[in-house]
Amino acid sequence: MSAAQKHWKAKDIAKDVEVLSPPDDLSTLPEPYASNGLEPDYKAKKPEWAQRYCASLDGFVALDTLERPENEEAKKEFVERFLVGLEKLFSEVNANTVQPLMLTTDFCAKCNTCSDSCHIYLSSNGDELLRPSYRTDVLRRMYKKYFTPSGRYLGGLVGADVDVTWESIARLGELAYRCNLCRRCAQACPLGLDNGLVAKEIRKLFSQELGVAPTPVHDKGTMLQLKVGSTTGLTKAAFLDNLEFIEEDIYERTGRKIKFPVDKKGADMLVMHNAGEFIAWPDNPAAFAILLDEAGVDWTLSSDMMGYDSVNYGIWYDDVQARKVALGQFKVAKELGVRRIVVGECGHAHKAIAIAADRMTTAEDRVPVESFIPVMAEFVRQGKLKFDPSKNNFPVTFHDPCNIVRQMGIVMPEREILKACAPQFREMTPHGVHNFCCGGGSGIALMNSYNFSDYRNKVTARKKFEQIINAFGEDFTNPDVVKYVCAPCSNCKGTIRDILKFYSATSTYNVQYGGLVELMVNGLASMEKPYLEFLQD
Amino acid sequence: MEAALPLAIFVIIALAAFLLLSAKKFVDYSRWSKHARFDLYPVPKEGSKKNEYGGSYYEENEWWEKGRSTSAVTELLDIGQEMFFIRKLFIHQRGLWYFSFLFHFGLYFLFGWSVLLLIGGLIYPCPEWFAVIIGIVGYIGFIIATIGCCGLLLRRIFSKSARINMTPIEYFNLFFLLAVLVTGIISWLWFADPIVIAHEVFTLSLVNVPPIVIAHLIMLGILLIYIPMSRMGHYVGKFFAFHGMWDNDPNTAGSKVEQNVIEMGKRQPKDHWAAPHTQA
Ligand code: SF4
Ligand code: SF4
Repeated sequence: MSAAQKHWKAKDIAKDVEVLSPPDDLSTLPEPYASNGLEPDYKAKKPEWAQRYCASLDGFVALDTLERPENEEAKKEFVERFLVGLEKLFSEVNANTVQPLMLTTDFCAKCNTCSDSCHIYLSSNGDELLRPSYRTDVLRRMYKKYFTPSGRYLGGLVGADVDVTWESIARLGELAYRCNLCRRCAQACPLGLDNGLVAKEIRKLFSQELGVAPTPVHDKGTMLQLKVGSTTGLTKAAFLDNLEFIEEDIYERTGRKIKFPVDKKGADMLVMHNAGEFIAWPDNPAAFAILLDEAGVDWTLSSDMMGYDSVNYGIWYDDVQARKVALGQFKVAKELGVRRIVVGECGHAHKAIAIAADRMTTAEDRVPVESFIPVMAEFVRQGKLKFDPSKNNFPVTFHDPCNIVRQMGIVMPEREILKACAPQFREMTPHGVHNFCCGGGSGIALMNSYNFSDYRNKVTARKKFEQIINAFGEDFTNPDVVKYVCAPCSNCKGTIRDILKFYSATSTYNVQYGGLVELMVNGLASMEKPYLEFLQD
Repeated sequence: MEAALPLAIFVIIALAAFLLLSAKKFVDYSRWSKHARFDLYPVPKEGSKKNEYGGSYYEENEWWEKGRSTSAVTELLDIGQEMFFIRKLFIHQRGLWYFSFLFHFGLYFLFGWSVLLLIGGLIYPCPEWFAVIIGIVGYIGFIIATIGCCGLLLRRIFSKSARINMTPIEYFNLFFLLAVLVTGIISWLWFADPIVIAHEVFTLSLVNVPPIVIAHLIMLGILLIYIPMSRMGHYVGKFFAFHGMWDNDPNTAGSKVEQNVIEMGKRQPKDHWAAPHTQA
């Protein structure tokens, strides 16, 4: 179905069709991808997915814990529980968020100004369903119908016309996971309204009231972290083993004997990494160790259950979980007696502990939090880290992680570092606080259940891929020129890794990716050999 | 006289209701003003020119040790540009901006005109020059607000993307506004002197009001009561919405934010979330 036909009204969310709006009309990628045939198709869907879950929104399943009820009675009960949760969303129990939520549902003028800021809406060629304000409109109409006098008495005249059924609720839940919570739409709204926040609130209702959230963010996310210490399942023993392995690797590759300081009481900084780095990209914590060692810093890692994984998936879907994780992390820092927490290359961990957790408790129970970026920039300024830029003499572009840049305002220090160590650095268009999300934000990077990774690679990350192609210009198609997409965030990096693979961009055009610290280490004047793997012989 | 007196009282009540209901709305939203952080950059009050590119104090190494630079001037400038110029709409959707800007600017003129009329009515007969100013402000307000209103209405009618999720009430709102504007233009151009009517309303001496003016005043009164209760009351919401995104003050020891956090911690909502993991 062409996007021009996808003019869904809010009430169509309850429409009795097998699949409401499949993402089958996508924006055209720039050359060479407009014509090289390297974009794979979606994997075939299996009918049993739709029988078991709600695949009727667009054919994809994010909520792999929301099973279709077996009978009408169970459906009815689900609807009732949803309505109870919907009312709570606008009440005292949600006081921390009621104001922006209410403002967005009360005042959206449906001017559509925010739509063209959304990479997902743009990638879908303007599917009405993916308009940032669409899910808000559905939520508003559902609320109105049951909880306002005007909705009860005037119905459709005031827009209270969405049928609240199992199907429409489940589709709304799915729709909340067709948003990266990047809040780029909110930057554009002339009324200051925030549809990204509304998507998060819908997720919250599902999780905190109905107990429904995608397995990778809840069961294998926050629940696992609170149980064993990490969403990766990494235990303390495995973590310590891992460190030893990384120490050996550093020695083999650089000749430097560096020991990770662990649980050092009273250290200046507790460095917290996304534990996924220790497993998927050990070069990243290794690079941190090399840089901090070279800068002569008094730092430590923590091996406490809540101290070696900086992630906090709770901020994407569940305030209760977010709070448990954040307070646990602060407790670790307090007990260690460190002066500050420095967050490594994980965007949402930055936002979780610096912004979201900032008002969870008083200063007494916290320690100051900062990003690794200004810390590293200061070392560069002070001359503690010296570069030989010729070592990084290849095109580099920078992806701004939404949580660090748009939602935390750290824009220039990373550019200062890049300008010092990467002579061929070029910006994406747009960049800085206006850059687009990688397409993996808010848990979507981790969600691979059934066919969901296809949705990410083809739809949510499409704009990012377009930006990457454009940033490298003529160099893009030349496989003899190595190109580096620098993304200082585990989830962004994972998303970019996946799209480069999905579109065969690494194998065909030599487009590489990685973090900021790896690039810094590679450019260190004191390094004898290249650090980046793709530069090694 | 007997028939006109209730009309004068109604207009005064409507004016008071507009102010009181707007204030009530403001109070209702302020009830929720102690909330979590929702930073979204650029934050205009960020000093050291960080506001220009969207930077924040987190760009500073050991930010909590450094004095924070904020600027009320850049914040006010930004608010001004959003309020009077609707800058975001200008940047992101120029086509709609032309009408929206005319409409809103026209309403601001009419608001100013109403204040001038109140003064003019109370000091009646007002000096010639003052009457001329009232006339000019009124003309400009009515003309540009009406053009803007028609443009917005036409867009809602003819643009498929604008139309798709509009509710009947949203058309009604614009038609209603247009009706008030048009009856106002007809009344004040051909049937009555607004300064005289203002004087008679505010001194409760309204007499001999032509039917079109009666219709206009009744509709205007209803509109004034209706606006704060409808989505058109977004002038209140806009204040809170932007301040929510710009409220990036850190929760440092002894700060106002910390006080708020302590108070937030004392909240005892009567409801609780139901999912089992929220109970643990
Ligand atoms: S820009 Fe704001 S007011 Fe306009 S549709 Fe989007 S959220 Fe609604
Ligand atoms: S938050 Fe981001 S992904 Fe979600 S609707 Fe807004 S722009 Fe789109």
